[in-house]
Amino acid sequence: MKHCSLGRFFKGMNLTVFTLVMVFLYIPILILIIFSFNDAKIITGWKGFTFKYYILLLENKTILEAFRNTMLIAGLSTLISTILGVLGALGLEYHKFNGRKLFSALIYVPLVIPDILMGVSLALLFNFTRVNTGMLTVLIAHITFCVSYTIIVIRSRLEGFDYSLVEAAMDLGAKPATIFWKIKFPLIMPGIIAAALLAFTLSIDDFIITFFTSGRGFDTLPIYVEGAIRRGTITTINSLSTIMIGLTLLLVVTTKRIRKIVISSL
Amino acid sequence: MKNLPSANPNYALQLATERRKNFTSWILTAPALLWLIFFFLVPYLIVIIYSFLTADIYDVKFEFTLDAYRQSFTPAYMHTFYLSFRLALLTTLLCLLLGFPVAYYIARAKDKVKNNLLIFIIIPFWTNLIIRIFSWRIFLAYNGVLNNLLLGLGLISKPLEIMRTDLAVILVMVYVYLPYMILPLYSVLEKLDWTLLNAAMDLGANEVKSFFRITLPLSKEGIFAGGLLVFIPALGSYLIPQLVGNQRSLYLGQVITYKVKNIPRNWPMASALSLTLLLIVALFLLLIYFLYRRGKFRKQV
Amino acid sequence: MEEIRLECLSKDFDGFVAVENVSLSIQSGELFSFLGPSGCGKTTLLRMIAGFEIPSTGRILIGNTDITDLPPYKRQVNTIFQNYSLFPHMTVFDNVAFGLRIRKSPKNEITKRVREMLSLVKMEDQANKFPEQISGGQKQRVAIARALINQPKVLLLDEPLAALDLKLRQHMLIELMNIHDAVGITFIYVTHDQGEAMSISDRVAVMNYGNIIQEGPPDDIYERPNSVFSAYFIGETNLISGEVIGIEDDYVQIRCPDGAGSSFNIDSTFHIQPTLGQELTVSLRPEKIAISRNKPRYQDDINILRGVIEDILYLGSHTQYIVNVGALKIRVFSQHKRVYFDDTALDWEEPVWLFWHDTDSWLINEIPENVLTVDEISEGGINHYQRSIKRPAIK
Repeated sequence: MKHCSLGRFFKGMNLTVFTLVMVFLYIPILILIIFSFNDAKIITGWKGFTFKYYILLLENKTILEAFRNTMLIAGLSTLISTILGVLGALGLEYHKFNGRKLFSALIYVPLVIPDILMGVSLALLFNFTRVNTGMLTVLIAHITFCVSYTIIVIRSRLEGFDYSLVEAAMDLGAKPATIFWKIKFPLIMPGIIAAALLAFTLSIDDFIITFFTSGRGFDTLPIYVEGAIRRGTITTINSLSTIMIGLTLLLVVTTKRIRKIVISSL
Repeated sequence: MKNLPSANPNYALQLATERRKNFTSWILTAPALLWLIFFFLVPYLIVIIYSFLTADIYDVKFEFTLDAYRQSFTPAYMHTFYLSFRLALLTTLLCLLLGFPVAYYIARAKDKVKNNLLIFIIIPFWTNLIIRIFSWRIFLAYNGVLNNLLLGLGLISKPLEIMRTDLAVILVMVYVYLPYMILPLYSVLEKLDWTLLNAAMDLGANEVKSFFRITLPLSKEGIFAGGLLVFIPALGSYLIPQLVGNQRSLYLGQVITYKVKNIPRNWPMASALSLTLLLIVALFLLLIYFLYRRGKFRKQV
Repeated sequence: MEEIRLECLSKDFDGFVAVENVSLSIQSGELFSFLGPSGCGKTTLLRMIAGFEIPSTGRILIGNTDITDLPPYKRQVNTIFQNYSLFPHMTVFDNVAFGLRIRKSPKNEITKRVREMLSLVKMEDQANKFPEQISGGQKQRVAIARALINQPKVLLLDEPLAALDLKLRQHMLIELMNIHDAVGITFIYVTHDQGEAMSISDRVAVMNYGNIIQEGPPDDIYERPNSVFSAYFIGETNLISGEVIGIEDDYVQIRCPDGAGSSFNIDSTFHIQPTLGQELTVSLRPEKIAISRNKPRYQDDINILRGVIEDILYLGSHTQYIVNVGALKIRVFSQHKRVYFDDTALDWEEPVWLFWHDTDSWLINEIPENVLTVDEISEGGINHYQRSIKRPAIK
């Protein structure tokens, strides 16, 4: 059919680009997974299937400690930044709040500034105040870059909040505290979960800010991996990466609920 | 106005309520506000101060000087700025070029498929950045998968040297930042009223014309948002050039990091370069803001 | 000027037949309506004429040109979309100028023509506003101007008034007719609102399940429906089924069971050739029935039924009575003119006489599969009814 051939061309082009991009996005990850089972010291070619590096990985104390550090930092910074986020978002709800503009501006600025600047400025702060870098400084840094995100995500959920529900609850005789815990809190819960999830992901993923704020002896996984790549001790990294990808996939794919929340918070 | 506010008996009550709500809002926002002031604003003040100090091997001497700025504007550092700017711009353009058809394709897919396709875009985005960069190293290395594959197929006789080139940097940058472009584009294209395209075609515009006159102008917001999300982090990127680039072309993120991490340290230089980067970002944001407002502004006339 | 011909047009979407073998010709300059419930295929038909859908089979011709395979931008056909589809990033002026700019008309001509068009739709002073700044009715006018500026041979209107409120709708309807008279091109109008279709059209095609059920001038369809569906969908009617028990020169007699064990007879003029013993349906419009507590004195050529008032709905311009005749419920509209029969208002539970002239009923050679009760009718039972008439053609 000659009809709308141009339209067909565009459709075909979009599909082609989409497919290519999908290949582009997944090829490196697939290769990584496959090579984590490769029985070779270097990445030249396929030398046979092995679980060896997974076992090596589990025996590696440094990696296990880095993993523990990552989870600790991620858990704590998620918890604290989510609490700050809930409070901040609730505070921003009142439209006549006279600090509203200042606060709104302040939470958006960190999002539009390259991460490295936050890293440098915090490193300088800790240098200037002579604080020993380590777990505490990393935690402070992580909370700082997470808190903007948590406030924004929870706030967007609050903005979609149907205020007539509060009025209905009042009409039915609920007191303000009851209204908050029985009506408002459950309804913004998805927003809180989304915010926490986002904070957790950002924290686990962060390299550069941690790099600037962690001292020697306190490595998170990304810091460890980067060091290992630089030193060339990379054999276990394949298997480590595969496990981390696996965890991500597990989190995203198996839990429909989380998926929905993630998409709705975009 | 017949009733002065003060003459209204409820006015005092209303005022009290407002004051109470305002106070509550301050209390609620205080923790986050103080946190951001102490750990976000104050550090920048220190950066500003440090940029005017004299460098020492490990620390700074509290002597005022403009050396750091003077040095920042020497050709060597200007070249670094130029390289970073070029990289960020190229990355943004390539992401837009690749991201638009993808976002368009997903936005026009059936509702049931849409979310799944989106998840496919997001999964790599949720995978650790370093790991993704590392996988590219395996793929692109001199004796890596790509070269082995091409050699095996007989397409090349000698391994390609892609790793540690600017090409590799661009490639991985696009790879890492592509989802940041696709998602905002998707969210505007998803809201686009497709009957507008029907209307344009009905009025005589073919697919190409209706794309340039309708789809593109209406996805402006997404392009700006995506541009912002890609361009700004790309300007300061450290990890990608560090892991797949070479030491001949150093980018801004690398230079700043070296000034902080390598001995001799140079805090003032790091500060001055950071502030210059901040200035560039601010200018870029203003530019985007004005481009964005121009469209909006016309509507007020 | 040329007529539009649809020849054996069909369209199926993955096995669902949206339009089935439609053949039709529309005269040039005519205001033609497709009328039917949602999902009847009228919009698909329109989209095929506009070029947004490719017919599965059949041809579309304007004059002698076959436009079946032409993309929308090469047809001299323009559309008014249901939600107007004004380009939100362009001013009213730019929206109207769009078609001319695409065709690269000279600038001064564009300005001149856009001004003309905007004055035709009385929007001259809104030229610099953006769509979001004008009201629904104004958007409608801009959409009309934007389409007409291209001097199409045909203007397609897809439920153009659906988004407007009642008063505005009536106003725009008159305006549309005026515009039609002013430009003189063919208008093809799609609607599910029978009132709109009846008042505006030269001819109407009633559609259901992808088929044209009946086509003709509005009064023809209203007074002489060819099917239970037409009778039911256009206006309101009482459908009474029965068996032909007598055929005379100028009327037939039909015995109708009243649902409670007994039956009554109806005399009616006829246009079909009934046979004795045949089952058919009598369509009786509620406004044609007179209602009174007194039996009419003059009884030639008049049907008379005895019933009891079950419900009275005061509707302003008229009152609707629901009268039980046996177990059948018959609706009667009575205007508030008391000069003829009664001085006092009728009351609930009151026994009344219903009567109408032989020529005021209409025979339909079709039996509804299940006769609707008044309750179903008042609950918007049209879809239910539609279902009972014809199964959707799904391959």
